[in-house]
Amino acid sequence: MMAMRIRGSVIVTAVVTMLTTGLRLDARQERDAGGFKAPTAALERGRAVYVLNHCHFCHGVDLTRATMGAANLSQSPFVGSDEDGNMIGPLVKAGLPNLQTAMPSYAELTSEEIVDLARYIHFLRQQARFRELSQLSDTPAGDRTAGEAYFNGAANCRSCHSVTGDLANIGRKYDAARLRERLLRPGPAMPSEGVSRTPGQAAHLKLLESYTVDNVRDLVAYLGANR
Amino acid sequence: MIPSRRDLLKALAAGPLLFASQRPAAVTTVNGVVFGVETFSFHDLPPAGDPQLIPTIIKNLQALGIAECEIMSGHIEPFASVMTGWWVQSRRSPDFPRLREEARQWRLTVPMTYYRDIRRRFEDAGLRIYLYNVNFNETFTDAERDRTFEAARELGADGFSSSTVLSEARRLVPFVQKHKMFVAMHNHNNLVDPDQFATPASFESALAMSPLFHVTLDIGHFTAGNNDAVAFIRQHHGRIINIHVRDRKRNNGPNRPFGQGDTPIADVLRLIRDNRFSIRCYLEYEYGSFRPSLDEVRTCFDYCKRVLAS
Repeated sequence: MMAMRIRGSVIVTAVVTMLTTGLRLDARQERDAGGFKAPTAALERGRAVYVLNHCHFCHGVDLTRATMGAANLSQSPFVGSDEDGNMIGPLVKAGLPNLQTAMPSYAELTSEEIVDLARYIHFLRQQARFRELSQLSDTPAGDRTAGEAYFNGAANCRSCHSVTGDLANIGRKYDAARLRERLLRPGPAMPSEGVSRTPGQAAHLKLLESYTVDNVRDLVAYLGANR
Repeated sequence: MIPSRRDLLKALAAGPLLFASQRPAAVTTVNGVVFGVETFSFHDLPPAGDPQLIPTIIKNLQALGIAECEIMSGHIEPFASVMTGWWVQSRRSPDFPRLREEARQWRLTVPMTYYRDIRRRFEDAGLRIYLYNVNFNETFTDAERDRTFEAARELGADGFSSSTVLSEARRLVPFVQKHKMFVAMHNHNNLVDPDQFATPASFESALAMSPLFHVTLDIGHFTAGNNDAVAFIRQHHGRIINIHVRDRKRNNGPNRPFGQGDTPIADVLRLIRDNRFSIRCYLEYEYGSFRPSLDEVRTCFDYCKRVLAS
């Protein structure tokens, strides 16, 4: 019995050691390889372009820790205005030779690789912006009037929503934190293989990339007052 | 010639000092070419200030079988190099003045035993810090420059490698003279800013300022800037301390695994070998990979060994 216990504990120790060693190795590899395993095959192709061309080294594994004087792509308006690489592609191919340390030119990337790369960058950006904006404090409170103007104007929320229709009394249904989370990302947290985003979810993700902190606070103030 | 009694007495008196200075320096050679590593190559190190950072660098060098390195200031000082003002973009942060002052105060007050302890750890492992890589810039005060030279000496470095600019090089002239320590200018490939080191002419301007100014020629960046690394080494080999061995494509092209870019790595290594130029070759891994950086640096080293064997 004792022998079995000892053998059992040895096996448990070995398994734990293997697991922890494996985990440590994975963590090291992920740091070096650009972190963030992508959830779908298409995004994984984009991650390969991002990592193998060493983008992560300057722009960060999750876009938030840019180094070497590189742009913070999670905040860049330029990236926010990109659609499937139409802005990112030409810049990446040309490079930025006049920077203090030049961004190389990746002229050899194919059109397909540019699209994959851009989509992966947008994916990382959406994750980063959600983390940033969903953790906003409730103070200072937003400006309801500005929120209404944004809802009906720049954000064009009214093309799908109405405060007297689907959003009637929404301030009673959700507190500020939940409301903020819902408007930032109404769909699932991660894309899934073979499941397309609805047009509404896609529109919200596009907005997620370009909201300012004030936009979010103002929208929450406006919608939260709708009781 | 038989030494006189006076010579023997002199030697005896100087014995411990001679012994200390003649301690065999760790050197790794491949067919007569000296190799080292720029510690920037280790991308997956613990962050600045982490107690495991120096031990990891030492472990990596031992695993590679390479005895010397050019160590980045960000691997010595307990704060990220973004705080020291080299990256113009970082200066736009509202936190920059405070962070920069904190870095300055740390440099001015840290006891020299801090650096000596790091040197001892390298030496105990049979390794040495040959160059201290500090990116001098106009945010340094004179006191800070002085202190940084003292730090390099305590680390056991022979001199600096520096990604700096011509205007800062002019300010460094009295410091290299005072401390009798060289600074080797490191290039990138910004061909537009005349203050940057990127062309033969920019290096030649600095070399004319002081005999203690030398060159760390990054042959990858030099090639990306459409310069001829082989011609530059032929012309200036006496003033080149080390080269950074990396492979980039021409026309500001990307970093590539060794042998896949346009950089004449093989020609440069053979030129140094065949002419016995005293230029050290420091590996610098910077292309993308899913593998740990230690594995990639080893791959880079293996490539160089194959080149030098032929």
